[in-house]
Amino acid sequence: MDINASTIWTEKYRPRNFEEVVGQDEVVKKVQNLTKSLNIPHLLFAGPAGTGKSTLALIVVKELFGADWKENYLDLNASDERGIDVVRQKVKDFARTKAFGNVPFKIIFLDEADALTREAQQALRRTMENFTSTCRFILSVNYSSKIIDPIQSRCAIFRFKLLEKKDIERRVRFIAQEERLQVTEQTITALYEASEGDFRRVINLLQSCASISPSITSDLINTLIASAKPADIKIVLEYALSGDFLKAKEKLLDVMLKDSVAGTDIIKSIQKEIWNLPIDNELKVRLTEKTGEIEFRMVEGSDEFIQLEALLASFVLAGRGIVR
Amino acid sequence: MKMALSLIEKYRAKSLKDIKGQDLVIKEVEAFFKLFPKRKALILAGPVGTGKTSIAIALAKDYKMELFELNASDLRNRLKLDEILKPAIGQQSLFNKGKVILMDEADGITSTEYGGLPELIALIDKTSFPIIITANDIWQQKFSLLRKKCQIVNVRELKESVVFDILSKVLEKEKKKIRAETRELIARKARGDVRAALNDLQTALSLGEEEFIADIAEREKQESIFNAMKKVFQEAPDEKILNVYDNTQMEIDEIMLWVEENIPFVYHGKALFKAQEALSKADLFRGRIYRQQYWRFLVYQNFFLAAGISSATELKNSQFTKYSKPSRVLKIWLANQKNAKKRSIAVKYAAFTHMSKKKAMKESFFLPFIIDRKAQKLLDLTDEEKKYLKEKKKEIIEKIRV
Repeated sequence: MDINASTIWTEKYRPRNFEEVVGQDEVVKKVQNLTKSLNIPHLLFAGPAGTGKSTLALIVVKELFGADWKENYLDLNASDERGIDVVRQKVKDFARTKAFGNVPFKIIFLDEADALTREAQQALRRTMENFTSTCRFILSVNYSSKIIDPIQSRCAIFRFKLLEKKDIERRVRFIAQEERLQVTEQTITALYEASEGDFRRVINLLQSCASISPSITSDLINTLIASAKPADIKIVLEYALSGDFLKAKEKLLDVMLKDSVAGTDIIKSIQKEIWNLPIDNELKVRLTEKTGEIEFRMVEGSDEFIQLEALLASFVLAGRGIVR
Repeated sequence: MKMALSLIEKYRAKSLKDIKGQDLVIKEVEAFFKLFPKRKALILAGPVGTGKTSIAIALAKDYKMELFELNASDLRNRLKLDEILKPAIGQQSLFNKGKVILMDEADGITSTEYGGLPELIALIDKTSFPIIITANDIWQQKFSLLRKKCQIVNVRELKESVVFDILSKVLEKEKKKIRAETRELIARKARGDVRAALNDLQTALSLGEEEFIADIAEREKQESIFNAMKKVFQEAPDEKILNVYDNTQMEIDEIMLWVEENIPFVYHGKALFKAQEALSKADLFRGRIYRQQYWRFLVYQNFFLAAGISSATELKNSQFTKYSKPSRVLKIWLANQKNAKKRSIAVKYAAFTHMSKKKAMKESFFLPFIIDRKAQKLLDLTDEEKKYLKEKKKEIIEKIRV
């Protein structure tokens, strides 16, 4: 598969060398130096989604191994693999043979390593030690604090910044030129605001708009992103506040199932929505507190829907006599 | 099609000696007959299917008396009682036979001024024929006056062995065979109710034994969960509340779904809030059990699910409530079927773009736009998947236009 020929823009415009990476100058400079020395330690890339962690890992691998990169690189995803044992087995199989070429180690990229439990991380630490002579790990996480100290202390940690508007602008203008799209200052602003600093989101959004019209207006972006959002959580809250728990529950399940939205995303939108509700501020504060409590229970509990129902019930209680 | 007589009617006792396991009751009834009119009415009190009605019918036959049958649940009002009862008492029997008046299922009679209870009592004073009254629960307040006028005989549930024998005899007469274990199962399940046992036997004969057994297992499971729901939602919590789910033969996770489904139908307002809160905490402990494998937390999960839900309100509603099966799991399954194509595309996309399936699903909204023909080939999509993308794209664009 020739990635350069890909028509999926996130691949087509994925930076292919250190120079093309935008917005992470500090990180890029250091990683580039390490790579040049041909002897890298384990790396821990920490930062928000879509800021270039996987991209940088791929660049490192290609710089190190050149044309042989595929034989020397294992790409794993902690949230996809079923348990640490699967990860360990794959690592073992891969690390058994020596590296190709003149670099004395292979690279294992473990994406979303923070999806591993602490116990699994302990097991991972042992694996990292056992294969340290033949392998280097690059771990990618959203929050480095979710990685246990013994692993952190074995890695060189690099923190990726949220992308700024100017970084996004630079790349979007480049793509627009290549694809012959018309973009304006407003387009860039709309893309930036919709993306929340996630470059993958920017490019997917840009390509989606381009497939509808070559002239990318901020209107087009905003309507598209609005319909990308799961059905309005506001309706659910309104039902609850008006006292109709059953209706609210039914609608909530609909919203979650139709777009397979995770409970954690639902509670995020509820938390954002509360401040816009037609209720007095004191109540907003109380409901937000409750939302936080429920989000905590969601993390600790096992059934997101049951937790959200409890939240809806407190909206029902709060709404009595206030709304309608 | 030939109308088959139900086993219950077909094998109803034709004589007192056909009645099994109620010898003492029969003795008392016969004694009452001999004493009449010293005592004018007799109440046969006991659970359903123990033979109360059969005893009355067989008695009339054995003593060659005419049976005047009254069904209180059909005849709820004074007018009809007057119409039917009074002439029966005044007239002399046609063939000089004696008469027995049977007031079946007296539980249905009302005690209000429109009802028949005062009439029944007046009737007992006036009657020149013995009256037999059957009732499930004669100790209700409304019957206090009636009880004073009548001799009461308690009819007890039949022993399992008696029910088993009855089933075996019926099968013999029907020239049909059913394994002894199945007969035992029916007898045990009937809990002394012959009518229920015969009904089940009929079902077993028409369904076939295997299917019948599966059916029973499912029914028992449902019955027991219904009882548990009733206890939790409609009765004040007592010292046994923590064991309320013990007999349900259900995993606690399934019970949680039952509770979740039914809370909003029984509780409202503050009670609803408290119950959902208790359910939320039960789930919290379940999460901790899973994560830490610390099974002692099960105690707390069960506590919130039983006592927590039950004590959400002190005002319990004793009205009959129909509890529903959990519906969420089915809805999730249906939605998953629907989302299966989206997921399979996302998985292929994820492998191609160095991302996790989870992340790919998050970007799945964009897939109909960014996977063009060329990309479809690269990702090796099936025709079904291509069709899904095409339709989805059309759907979104139409939505945007509006």
